Amino acid sequence: MIQAIDLYKSYGPVAAVRGVSFEAGEGVVLGLLGPNGAGKTSIMKALTGFHYPDGGKAVVAGIDVTEDPVAAKRLVGYLPESAPLYPDLTPEEYLAFAASARGLSGRVCSTAVGRAVEACGLGPVYRRPVEELSKGYRQRLGLAQAILHDPKVLILDEPTTGLDPNQILEIRALIRELGREKTVVLSTHVLQEVEATCSQVVILNEGRVVAQGSPAEIGEALKGEERLSLRVRARKGRLDELTIGRLVAGLRRLKPAAPPVLGPDGVAACELVAPPGEEPGAEAFDWAVENDLVILEMLRRRLSLEEIFVRLTSEGVSK
Amino acid sequence: MKPVHALARKEFRAAWNSPVAYAISVAFLVFSAAWLYFVRGFYAAGLADLRPYFGIMPVAFAVLAPAATMRSWAEERRLGTYELLLTMPFTEAELVLGKFLAAYATIAIALALTLPVPLLASLLGSFDPGVLAGQYLGALLVAGASTAVGIWVSSLAKNQASAFVGAALLLIGLSLVDRLAAFFRFSGPAAAIANWVSTGRHFESLSRGVLDGRDFAYYLSAGAAFLYLTAWNVRRRKWS
Repeated sequence: MIQAIDLYKSYGPVAAVRGVSFEAGEGVVLGLLGPNGAGKTSIMKALTGFHYPDGGKAVVAGIDVTEDPVAAKRLVGYLPESAPLYPDLTPEEYLAFAASARGLSGRVCSTAVGRAVEACGLGPVYRRPVEELSKGYRQRLGLAQAILHDPKVLILDEPTTGLDPNQILEIRALIRELGREKTVVLSTHVLQEVEATCSQVVILNEGRVVAQGSPAEIGEALKGEERLSLRVRARKGRLDELTIGRLVAGLRRLKPAAPPVLGPDGVAACELVAPPGEEPGAEAFDWAVENDLVILEMLRRRLSLEEIFVRLTSEGVSK
Repeated sequence: MKPVHALARKEFRAAWNSPVAYAISVAFLVFSAAWLYFVRGFYAAGLADLRPYFGIMPVAFAVLAPAATMRSWAEERRLGTYELLLTMPFTEAELVLGKFLAAYATIAIALALTLPVPLLASLLGSFDPGVLAGQYLGALLVAGASTAVGIWVSSLAKNQASAFVGAALLLIGLSLVDRLAAFFRFSGPAAAIANWVSTGRHFESLSRGVLDGRDFAYYLSAGAAFLYLTAWNVRRRKWS
């Protein structure tokens, strides 16, 4: 539905986007993730036809945005960064303008406006001047404008910045809902946002793609191994070093990363390495039951997107 | 035409929801009344000829049109709504035309509100409605060309203030260039060019209510040229 093909964009001497390619089909929420200045906004501006790329193509539903910008723009709803609005118009006037600019009129128009107002919870401020609206309402008004014409593609530049936690949850739920039938591209530098809403991630740094895939795939590719930290004691009696050493050696797939450490209270701490793609907890549990051990604590450790992100982007910087 | 209408309506609403449009109307009304009083005093009472009154129009619109157009692009860019506007399905021509029509409508309203002023004055002398209609048509032509210039300057300017000052200076220059040329005793091609580009010069017959095809052509083509330059400018920005 939406494709970036080897996009390049420079602002004078500053190369903002340097050969970025990705694509997203229907029903995909794609997150562009990267630090400030990674080129997220520049890519979105090329996809929406705000500016044209210096090289490569932005394609929406098979239409090259540079060749037929008006046709491409009809299919796209866009929420620019920080939701710019006209302070002299009320939400009612603003949405009426956006709807008629999109060629909606009559009953179709009022239904569309009603639906967008409902979805974004704008009812209470519908006739108040935009100047008086809170940041949350402004953001929602921007979003209402973007979804007004029921576009196939939604492009949202940092849709949750400046919102309070409740509003963030609401907007994320709305994005997930919209993402079922549409193609949504959103940018963020908040990792939880990607984990909470996106089915696909493109990680950008300094204008280049450093990783892409589903959040799980990206995690998978980078985490290498998964670790299990276990604290156990014997159900009866007291563990000694010899016993716990023998028991740990009896594990089949999980391997000790280091010899288990036995504390003075008879609790053994084991650091186990799990082969990729397995559920390590199940074996640990069965093993403990078989050997009459009590699991006091089991901690599965994997790289969070946060760690992956830091690893990827700092690698990019050091290159 | 529908997108043009949508944009023009939005612009028009924003102008009349803010103090700008009212300020323009009131300023123009006060100015025209004061100016009429001044020229009537100057030429002694009983005068029905409104030519001096209309003669000032190119200069009046040199200030008024920039006031109505200074926001059109400069303000969109400041607010960031420029980004939104350019990602809506408008062609560059539709964007420029929509903005032009809204500003032009505001000026036309301000002009219409002054109608009672010369009308009352004319009642005192011999009154020719045909001449007055011609004079108002002339004023609308100057207003249109000035608005196009203002829109163009606004598309280049970083903010409202520089859009206003830039357009006003350019328009005042254009309206007085023929007189400056005469003052400095220009002759030959230089004087001809100065006369040809001057908005003031082309208004001379119109201020008498005389409609000359050449003056029509001048104002219409100047308006079209500046609107074209604006569209070109908007398009050029997409590549930078």
